[in-house]
Amino acid sequence: MTDEKFVKISGLKDGVRVPSRVLEEIVQQQIEKGARYIEVDAYGQHGIGGRLWRAGDEKIQIRITGHSGQRTGSLGFTNTDIEIMGPASDDIGWLNAGANITIHGDASNGAMNGAAQGKVYIAGSIGSRGMTMTKHNPRFEPPELWVLGSCGDYFGEFMAGGIAVICGINPKNETNLLGHRPFVGMVGGKAFVRGRVVEYSQKDAKLVKMSQQDWEWLSHNLELFLKAINKPDLIGSLMDKTQWNIIQALTPQERGELRSRTPMSRFLEDVWERELGRGGLIGDLQEVERGPIPVITKAELRRFVPVWEQNMFNAPCQAACPIGIPIPERWRMVRAENVEEAVRIGLEHTPMPATVCGYLCPSPCMEACTRNMEHMVPIDIRPIGQVSEKALPPKPAKKSKKKIAVIGGGPGGISAAWHLTLAGHTVAIFDENKVIGGKISSVIPESRIPRQVLKTELDRIKKLIPDIRLDQAITKEEFLKIKYDFDFTIIAGGAKKPRTLLVPGMELAAVANEFLALAKTNKIKSKETVVIIGAGNVGCDVATEAHRLGAKDITMIDVQKPAAFGKEKEDALAIGAKFRWPCFTQKITKEGVLLSDGELLRADMVVLSIGDLPDLRYLDKDIVVENDFIRIDEHFRTSDPRVFAVGDAIRPGLITDAIGAGKRAALNIDRIIQGKPPKTDNARPAIDKSRVSLEYFDPHGQCETLEVCAQDCSSCGKCRDCGICVATCPEQAIYRTESKGIVGYQSDPEKCIGCGFCRSACPCGIWNLVPNMV
Amino acid sequence: MSSIASITPSTLSLNDLPWQIEWNKDKCTLCGQCTAVCPVRAIEMQVYRKKTLNTSLLPGHEQGKQFSTYYGIGQKTNVANACIGCAMCNMVCPNNAITPQRNPGVSRLKFHMNQDGQPRRRGGRKNSTESVLDQIKFTRISMLTDPALDAGRHEFELRTLLGRILSPKENMKRLREKGWIPPVREIYPMVIGGMSFGALSPTMWEGLQMGVAYLNEELGMPVRMCSGEGGCPPRLLRSRFLKYVILQIASGYFGWDEIIHAIPHMKEDPCAIEIKYGQGAKPGDGGLLMWHKVNKLIAAIRGVPQGVSLPSPPTHQTQYSIEESVAKMIISMSMAWGFRVPVYPKISASSTSLAVLNNLTRNDYASGLAIDGEDGGTGAAYSVSMDHMGHPIASCVRDNYLNLIKIGKQNEIPIFAGGGIGKNGNIAANAAALIMLGASGVQVGKFVMQAAAGCIGTEHDRCNVCNIGICPKGITSQDPRLYRRLDPEDVAQRIVDLYVSFDTELKKIVAPLGRSTSLPIGMSDALGINDKAAAERLSIKYVV
Repeated sequence: MTDEKFVKISGLKDGVRVPSRVLEEIVQQQIEKGARYIEVDAYGQHGIGGRLWRAGDEKIQIRITGHSGQRTGSLGFTNTDIEIMGPASDDIGWLNAGANITIHGDASNGAMNGAAQGKVYIAGSIGSRGMTMTKHNPRFEPPELWVLGSCGDYFGEFMAGGIAVICGINPKNETNLLGHRPFVGMVGGKAFVRGRVVEYSQKDAKLVKMSQQDWEWLSHNLELFLKAINKPDLIGSLMDKTQWNIIQALTPQERGELRSRTPMSRFLEDVWERELGRGGLIGDLQEVERGPIPVITKAELRRFVPVWEQNMFNAPCQAACPIGIPIPERWRMVRAENVEEAVRIGLEHTPMPATVCGYLCPSPCMEACTRNMEHMVPIDIRPIGQVSEKALPPKPAKKSKKKIAVIGGGPGGISAAWHLTLAGHTVAIFDENKVIGGKISSVIPESRIPRQVLKTELDRIKKLIPDIRLDQAITKEEFLKIKYDFDFTIIAGGAKKPRTLLVPGMELAAVANEFLALAKTNKIKSKETVVIIGAGNVGCDVATEAHRLGAKDITMIDVQKPAAFGKEKEDALAIGAKFRWPCFTQKITKEGVLLSDGELLRADMVVLSIGDLPDLRYLDKDIVVENDFIRIDEHFRTSDPRVFAVGDAIRPGLITDAIGAGKRAALNIDRIIQGKPPKTDNARPAIDKSRVSLEYFDPHGQCETLEVCAQDCSSCGKCRDCGICVATCPEQAIYRTESKGIVGYQSDPEKCIGCGFCRSACPCGIWNLVPNMV
Repeated sequence: MSSIASITPSTLSLNDLPWQIEWNKDKCTLCGQCTAVCPVRAIEMQVYRKKTLNTSLLPGHEQGKQFSTYYGIGQKTNVANACIGCAMCNMVCPNNAITPQRNPGVSRLKFHMNQDGQPRRRGGRKNSTESVLDQIKFTRISMLTDPALDAGRHEFELRTLLGRILSPKENMKRLREKGWIPPVREIYPMVIGGMSFGALSPTMWEGLQMGVAYLNEELGMPVRMCSGEGGCPPRLLRSRFLKYVILQIASGYFGWDEIIHAIPHMKEDPCAIEIKYGQGAKPGDGGLLMWHKVNKLIAAIRGVPQGVSLPSPPTHQTQYSIEESVAKMIISMSMAWGFRVPVYPKISASSTSLAVLNNLTRNDYASGLAIDGEDGGTGAAYSVSMDHMGHPIASCVRDNYLNLIKIGKQNEIPIFAGGGIGKNGNIAANAAALIMLGASGVQVGKFVMQAAAGCIGTEHDRCNVCNIGICPKGITSQDPRLYRRLDPEDVAQRIVDLYVSFDTELKKIVAPLGRSTSLPIGMSDALGINDKAAAERLSIKYVV
């Protein structure tokens, strides 16, 4: 190559620096004209030697003398060779797309920045940010940067491709050829470095071993590099393979692994627990088991657990029954087609199941029935009462030697005598009347209790209790004798003494009980216009009977809202009795009842029905009487420990109350005889009705027959053995057990998750869900 | 409800409840998981009656009806069992058959959460999503003006100083004279705010501490965590991890005897001592740990009987003035560790905060001031305190910082800001805004619970039952059946994730500002807000 070939272009014209734009035009025009060898005497012009595509595939040689400016060879093409005879300025080979550039000196910052093809040979060292953001397009050979000396800081930043070779000959910094923080953000390409690599970004790059292929490529190309920069004799000092290192970008996989820090489990074991001890922070304080558990847990880790609360609560009906008859159990027996047993259970509790449960009782059980919650017809108790009529008495227990006197053969006395007899004791009933049964026999109208039913039941009673002494009006002396002769005495004399009004003309009024007793035997006729003072249930009976006996106009008055309820009230209203209140009687005259406000209620007959008081004249002073009634303790015991009292003698109440009291007094006497302390009636609490599911029942059920009643009874608090819990349990935790005829249900804690489905599904409200106490 | 049941003033229908359970009969498999998991037993299986009619006008047809039953999941409507919207039912449902929905109408429950004259108490924070911090933008972007920094690849120095920094003149003088120089800690600017051992479950607390230890020892991030007022497990007090802990002392002084006993055995000094005077969530009210959560372990660590509620008094009982509080408490605590440990008070943000700050500036031993804004969270407080008491953090920090500038001490007493940082998930932006308003660092609690443990509490009054120990995630429960749902290892891992990502986000904010060598504390020229009044109040740019 001779100098004559070169077209010379000066960067100076008329002693003035040619602007970069003008020099660029001159170079491009020369290429256009066919010049292929151009020598530029540069005066710092920008970007000389780039963009020379007009020559097509023809080779172009650019030689630069003087001061080459920034970005020499930028956007260079593959046909271009540039040779800078001195040092180069910033960004040599910037965005190079194929030019080969040789610099016979140092280059400043940014060498090869953003280049994708071509080669830059530097016979000295470079400034900072060399080989940064370089690329490798697979359509072309990768870009190469050859540096004979060393590099400034941030070398290879964000390098994405290409090859850099740093030879380390006469470096600017002997101890660090690559400067501060090289290869930050490097994702591709590689760099050969002769000498120690002090630092590089380890999260982006790695040192690799020289392969045979690498070495062959390097040793071959080193010769070309040295030839280009006219220093072929240096080859000897560069051929020690062991001095070379290769830095390569990490693969994405390697980056991933690098990002994965020490696993926390290892930190826990190696650092945390090593410093604190086993169990960590509170390993020394906490006894409970550690370690994560699932959200849905079983066994002791459940927050709530099901409990089968069979027999823990009374059904509302049973709780409301003054006698405490186990009604759901009776319906259970009916469902089991064992009506006989259902009846027998009744007789265990009451001597008059037909008369009372079947007819006379106002049925608090039905009022309490859970079915009322949904306006459903309550389970009718009367059919099961009525079928008990013909039942035989249960067998008494083995005879004891104890004798008990019962004064009064009304419901309370009969109940006490019944239970004491069944317990094996010898009982004598004393009654001043000619028949037993008290008010049931003497006062209550036949319309309410068929004569035959009552007779059958009284006969059954008489059969069980042989010693019934009628016509026995008790005097003080006789009472003391009875007390002396018998181990225990129960006063059940009832209340037959009418309560009276302290108003003038009292003697003109009839008394309710006397009227009813006469009416029952049909010994009187009624007057046409009747005023009844006292509008309770007895008053209603008076009204009904007066109507039957001819009364046309019946008025019932009371000082307060009438207490009448149930069948008695319905019957009185049905016959047209008028209820008036509040009415205060001033006096009773022949015309009728004069009220305190001056109104006269005309009446042919006035009946006083404001309650009765017990006649207690025969009692000795050991027995305390309070407010006209006998004082008792919670066991129905009077102030005389061997004397008990029940029924209307202690307080006015229902027939059923008297029967219940008789039963409890008898059971307590029996306990005392057995040497046990008497027991208060601590019945189980009534079940919370909301636990019962009525949705299983026909809401329109009418409870017409014994069988339907039994089927429709939700058996509150008493398992129906329906198995719905077993079917509902999502974990199959619930299973049925049966032992000696007793059925039970259990939930296996190892399976149960404490969802409470059993509680919700149970028709009887047996299953409960309670906090699992730890 | 039963047909014959009567209604009471607090008888509610589903429409009155804030959260309504939507249940899909077709998808439900009646597996019982939802009712088993529901923390408040808001749902139960219910038996339903169905009536089917078979009617016709054709002659001879007998009009018929039939009743059948089916089962489903129903919601209770009583106040005590009102759904809290936690959606655990949905989480465990295999068929996605059940989910709570927010009542699109208006809930009436709030009017009834006062049964027996007991006002509502709850956990969580103010039920409001408003956030001035979210409105603040970073408007000073360095394009060609300052060095352009790459958040991902450049090096940043984001530590802050906790402690009293003497003026250079004073510092040099004391160095020369070998005088006492106040202790200063170089820490990460986001501190885990005080949440007590007791308010948090043992698994949660351990997870936080473990995560903090990991950040320090594996990643070199000097993150610190405040203990809250409830003492500290003895093992931690005797371990090297204590240096990552800011011990809190509050008016209840719970657990401090254990700390005192441990002092002779401490391998490391604690990072600092925080004297809690107030909390942003319930300013002027003391701490409250309800009896549900005081089990054997908590009782032992706090030195109290089991099963009693533990209210802390609203004030430290033996301190009757700012001067006394500052002087007495700070010097006592400093003395305990030979004046080697920074001691600073924490107060609720208030219009009176400046008085406290001014006092601190006159006390050499005061190492800083932590201010907790109205949006701070709590494990238990009266709802009225949470929703209506307190001062926003942004203007409070700003006032205090500008006051420091006025007296020339802005580089001497660091202010730490807390309360509502990241309430809408924008943790780094909120933190950076407060730092540029003048805070040296931030304290974060609720966001940490949400991010690191999956706390599902929201400002729409979701869940918020931290106070009664039934946290469905096991974060604030002392019941092992609940807190064992939370694995401390997972919490620790999430703490690491949270901090590492926060770090990147913080760099993404400060890099464009051209800051890499120090935290831009008080660099308010970088801030703007699209609200003229707020801009004026905060002395930052109004941008539209």
